[in-house]
Amino acid sequence: MRKPSRRTLFLGFSVLLGLLLSGCASNAELDTLKPKGPVSREINTLSNWVFIAGGVVLLTIFVAVIYIAIKFHAGKPDNDEFPEQIHGNSTLEIGWTILPAMIMAVIAVGTLITHFAVNSTEANAMEIQVDGAPQNWEPTVVVVGQQWWWEYRYYLSDNITAADLKGVSAKDLPPADIVTSGQMIVPSGEEIELIITSRDVIHSHWIPALNGKRDAVPGRYSPWKIQADNPGVYFGQCTEFCGLSHARMRMQVVAVDNHDFQVWINNQMRPAAVPAGAEALVAAYRNDESATLPDNASAAARGAEAFISNCTSCHLINGVNDLSYTGANQVSGAAPNLTHLASRTTFAGAVLNLYNADGSLNRDDLSAWLRDPAALKDNASTDPIPRGMPNLGLSENTISDLVAYLSTLGPKPSMQQIHDTQVN
Amino acid sequence: MAIVEKPLSLDAADVVVANRPLGVLTRPKGGNGWRDWLSTVDHKKIGVMYGVTAMFFFVVGGSEALLIRSQLAVPNGRVLSADVYNQVYTMHGLTMIFLFVMPLAAAFANYLIPLQIGARDVAFPRLNALTYWIFLGGAIFLNSTWLVGGGGADCGWFCYSPNSGVIFSPSHGVDFYAIGLIILGIASLVSAVNLITTVINMRAPGMTWFRVPVFTWMMLVTQFLLLFALPVITVALFFLMFDRLFGSQFFNPDTGADPLLWQHLFWIFGHPEVYIVVLPAFGIFSEIIPTFSRKPLFGYSFVVFSGIAIGFMGWGVWAHHMFVSGIGPVSVAAFSLSTMFIAVPTGVKILNWIATMWGGKIWYATPMLFSVGAVTMFTIGGISGVTEALAPVDSQQTDTYYIVAHFHYVMFGGGVMGLLGACYFWWPKVFGHMLNERIGKVHFWLVLIGMNLTFGPMHILGLQGMSRRIDTYSAGFGFALWNAVATIGAFTIAFSLLVFFFNIWKSKKDATHLPKPGPDPWDARSLEWMLQSPTPEHNFDVVPEINGLDEWWHRKYGYDDDGKVIRIATVEEAAQKGDAINPHLPSPSFWPIVVATGLPLIGYGLIFNLWLAVPGGLAVAGGLYAWALEPTDDPDGPHGGHHDDHGDDQPVVVGAESNEES
Repeated sequence: MRKPSRRTLFLGFSVLLGLLLSGCASNAELDTLKPKGPVSREINTLSNWVFIAGGVVLLTIFVAVIYIAIKFHAGKPDNDEFPEQIHGNSTLEIGWTILPAMIMAVIAVGTLITHFAVNSTEANAMEIQVDGAPQNWEPTVVVVGQQWWWEYRYYLSDNITAADLKGVSAKDLPPADIVTSGQMIVPSGEEIELIITSRDVIHSHWIPALNGKRDAVPGRYSPWKIQADNPGVYFGQCTEFCGLSHARMRMQVVAVDNHDFQVWINNQMRPAAVPAGAEALVAAYRNDESATLPDNASAAARGAEAFISNCTSCHLINGVNDLSYTGANQVSGAAPNLTHLASRTTFAGAVLNLYNADGSLNRDDLSAWLRDPAALKDNASTDPIPRGMPNLGLSENTISDLVAYLSTLGPKPSMQQIHDTQVN
Repeated sequence: MAIVEKPLSLDAADVVVANRPLGVLTRPKGGNGWRDWLSTVDHKKIGVMYGVTAMFFFVVGGSEALLIRSQLAVPNGRVLSADVYNQVYTMHGLTMIFLFVMPLAAAFANYLIPLQIGARDVAFPRLNALTYWIFLGGAIFLNSTWLVGGGGADCGWFCYSPNSGVIFSPSHGVDFYAIGLIILGIASLVSAVNLITTVINMRAPGMTWFRVPVFTWMMLVTQFLLLFALPVITVALFFLMFDRLFGSQFFNPDTGADPLLWQHLFWIFGHPEVYIVVLPAFGIFSEIIPTFSRKPLFGYSFVVFSGIAIGFMGWGVWAHHMFVSGIGPVSVAAFSLSTMFIAVPTGVKILNWIATMWGGKIWYATPMLFSVGAVTMFTIGGISGVTEALAPVDSQQTDTYYIVAHFHYVMFGGGVMGLLGACYFWWPKVFGHMLNERIGKVHFWLVLIGMNLTFGPMHILGLQGMSRRIDTYSAGFGFALWNAVATIGAFTIAFSLLVFFFNIWKSKKDATHLPKPGPDPWDARSLEWMLQSPTPEHNFDVVPEINGLDEWWHRKYGYDDDGKVIRIATVEEAAQKGDAINPHLPSPSFWPIVVATGLPLIGYGLIFNLWLAVPGGLAVAGGLYAWALEPTDDPDGPHGGHHDDHGDDQPVVVGAESNEES
């Protein structure tokens, strides 16, 4: 029994170790050991050191246990032969109390240095153009979590800080220049300060390649930061359990160079495009009057009409219902701002692709979502106060009109971005 | 007060019978049927009931674990809906912690503490029965939510506010969580008071603090942790219950509450809770490893003091569960440091156990295999814990499967494997026959391989970025392989449990034709092995005089002039015969179970209809009155020998005993 057992043990550990090493080499989008920015790299350096130190200690203890276990094996005692009865050794014991304390002290120094570096921010105001006027912008994004998607708010004209928001309810944030969801567009190479909060329960914002996580706590505005070395897409996942669709609350950071970032700002600052033929309808709606579409109206124009009659009690599109919008009929009081929906590449909390890999509109998922959101992503939309998009009972014609309208809310992102941001 | 400086001795037959006291109630007689189990106040029977209940809930919690692992075996798994998954993982955590590991540790504490300190029973025998019945009632109440509460709690065992509020969790699951844990907390709290009193007051003559066996020491530290931790969680649970049932606003951020209040209260309880789960195992290792190494524990006082140190330091690390919650960099730094340094006393223990094996003559019986396995698995969990203590590193690791791996190595690898080893070690003492060694070894290797297959890959998954508490995952994240392996591991553990049950059944069957194990089958060291197996109902015929640490071993062995160990007495000579005549034992009582029945009724009343709480309240109040009024003793029962140890001027047993029970 004994000898094969030891071999099994050894074999087991070798296999585990081998698997461990090969496992870490795999290419996971959320891998915590593949830093793509200075902050996460700093954490990774510390983590490498502690893994090495811990590994050495673990190996020492394992080798000691296995050695002792084999060397002093004696089997079931059949006589009164006893080994030497040692009750202890104070020098040794004080030694192995002090030694781990000293190892810990060394690790503690490294930890504190890294910890305060990760929690510091630098002044790195950048020059941007807002409505044609130059603006000195300290890159900051207000991150708001709610069940089960993330909102990103850009205050370009004023450098908002966490202190400015103290005491403000996250359901009542000051109007932002740009509001997007699921995808945060940032300039690469810049330190982006995040101000993280929530409109309902606690969530946690985590882009592993760029930094660790920070909880989104209702009533609090927690500072955090991210920084990407290079343009690219960095995946994230809500990591604080937030209820039913916690698993399906994701996000992406899309880092672009400064030029592309300015182009993105310019596009996002425009109100939504109104489809040809629906101008009169939208204008009338904004004046609280009614109007009808011409008989030969395009599908997109009919979609705008469907949006006005079905979606405006929750969703906001600048240029359509921004004058009358008072917040969503949701526990969080919010639904994604759809002004430039089609300029994003994912929807529904970054779990569904808005575009197929070939660049065409993902009509299937978008239609299915409009048909019955809960079938694609669990939600609590039938609660007295809903959480998540309800099934509106839309007809197939209405769905196809809405898809046509929503796809005009561009501009369409680059093929590169569509390719890099594909989720499955 | 139960101050018995010199416990009862039973060597003479000078019986003093008290007058029948006033009172309309009589104490029930002991017997062998179900009435005996319902009315028993015997710490051994209560310990067995704790153990059986705990193993039942191990099966329940284990089934929940298998559902979780089945769901996660492949990407986009749909064995359970998201809603049910959230309920199942919540109830898995609650069941395993509160209904399996804690009561299994309580089983050993109840059974062994009086034996290890040379006592007749615990300080308050009826209270001891009460704690078991309250625990059982709480356990049934908590799980009855599946049937009557609209499903289990769906907020995680940590149940963070405001996700625990009515808006976000409209079923009754969280109500059952709050009230169920309050009830279970009452049981643990009462038990803690009882066991602390027992250890402080009822040690055999000569058993000074540094002659107390390490298992009893670690249990004592555990009971102090319970004593101070449970009131904190109880306050938090009352807040939660009032928020949900009566519309108070303790945790509603819209009315100005700070949701982090719950987190602080929960983790001030929750972190000591980790040590509550693992310290009993530390005590078990400290009994088993010396026995099977044939050496005394290396550095007894270091092991005891490091256990006490863990008990104290365990209160200063709770916010390491909140490193990313936004409590500010300075407090994070402070808790990061305190957490790193709690590794020191833990490391000391591991090194002491290893040093105990050094130079020994090691016998790998099943209990020893489990203990050595558990120490090494715990070491893995301890070291992954150090990486998490580093706040910046933790900001990547927290709320990922890395944490799941870590605490399962600590709680399953250290705690549960330690307790399984304890089952094999003390089985003959409790049931009078050994568990089959060959099957036991198969059991051990299956558990060891199973747990490493299950929880080992979770380290990788966590570092790959797999979040905790997600009901499914996409194929694109590269999580599929290791989740599949973990699921295979989970079923291996489940199979090992079946092997264990088979062993229990087969060993009992074989016991009829195998030789009896005798009082001391392992050549062990502490007092319980001085007694016959199974332990006689009255424990000790004569309370032993304690002359040193490892008293029982020193009654068997001495040293010759060269300092070599020689046997001075056989087990048969040194052991007690278990033949005391008419030993005086605490009388059974039905009132503990009556009182305990009232609490779940009050719970259902709070949730469904306050009228239900009326019979519950009556059961509690009436039961307590009857408890107080029933005679403290059965005047017709045996009263043991003369009581010269009580002083000659105190002839009436009943008077003295009345103070001994609560």
